[in-house]
Amino acid sequence: MKLFLDLWTVVAVVAGAFFFFAGTVGLLRFPDSLTRLHALSKADNLGLGLVVLGLLPQVDSVSAGLKLVGIWLLVLLSGATAAQWIARTFRQSGTDP
Amino acid sequence: MNSDPSFTSTARPESLLATALWRGMAFFLLWMLLMPSLKRGDLVVGVLASVGATWVSLRLLPPSSGCLRFGRLLALLPHFVWESVLAGVDVARRALLPGLPLRPGFVTCPLGFPPGFARNTFATITTLLPGSVAAGEVDGVMVYHCIDTSSPVVEQLWKEERLLARALVAGRHHG
Amino acid sequence: MAEFLVGAAAFILGMVALGLVRLLRGPGDADRIMSAQLLGTGGIAAVLLLGTATGERATLDVALTLALLAAFAAFAFVKAKLAQTPGESRAADSQ
Repeated sequence: MKLFLDLWTVVAVVAGAFFFFAGTVGLLRFPDSLTRLHALSKADNLGLGLVVLGLLPQVDSVSAGLKLVGIWLLVLLSGATAAQWIARTFRQSGTDP
Repeated sequence: MNSDPSFTSTARPESLLATALWRGMAFFLLWMLLMPSLKRGDLVVGVLASVGATWVSLRLLPPSSGCLRFGRLLALLPHFVWESVLAGVDVARRALLPGLPLRPGFVTCPLGFPPGFARNTFATITTLLPGSVAAGEVDGVMVYHCIDTSSPVVEQLWKEERLLARALVAGRHHG
Repeated sequence: MAEFLVGAAAFILGMVALGLVRLLRGPGDADRIMSAQLLGTGGIAAVLLLGTATGERATLDVALTLALLAAFAAFAFVKAKLAQTPGESRAADSQ
């Protein structure tokens, strides 16, 4: 069982790290600001979600696990809100805000 | 789509007290999640924080601005989590492919949700879906920035709108 | 397991550092606030990984504080930008 849980952690955390990698590549390679915003708001949030998913079997209490999920939900919500405000501000103030 | 009859029926006054109680309980639950301690001092601070948060939330988001049907939103959660996984995979694929397959641009998407709480919640949720980031509105019509304008973004958004219409109640209640 | 988690945290921090190149290059302010957002998300992931590796519960609160700071940074940016373009701010404030 321990082996299975550790394997779960390794797989999910590696997948999460991959999406952070992809998000950074997108942030550096994508040609314009709003497209880079896609890389940030989708890839990195998924990366954090996978890291949280991977850490769940490693925490020692249910409350710590719930808190981990809570942190992820908070980041997801604030990230999505921030992304659309950045997009709106960018669109309203022209090409170079 | 824009004249969805379910959003234009008569108003019904919300009970301020009931809303305050529900929100207060939700905030206290969140407090217990973040600070799982039963010591008296911690509980007092938690209650004070919940009361403060409820007061601020009632000022910023009065009950008349609409509400969520929490159970129905929860039932839709697996769908949206899966969609946001697909969104991450889609962006990662486009970032890592050598040819950078992008066709960025804006599309307008007329929605049945009226401006305000329901539409803002919809915009936040759809920002996490593949290919679209909400970018405000022009003349009352939502604008989305798309990573690939050749994909059927607006049709996809309308599909999500039909799903979410069950869970998001606009400022005026359905009759 | 702890070594693996620390390694993963280091990798993610490396990705954040690489993403901060956008902070230097810009070109617009939007790009800079985006790499600050990346610092928030990636920093939280790294703190959670390190906290689990060392078994230190307090790191969860550090992560929570980082999440709040990243959100406030983004909204401060948007507020400041809207103040700079007064002709457009009315439409944005209507929501």
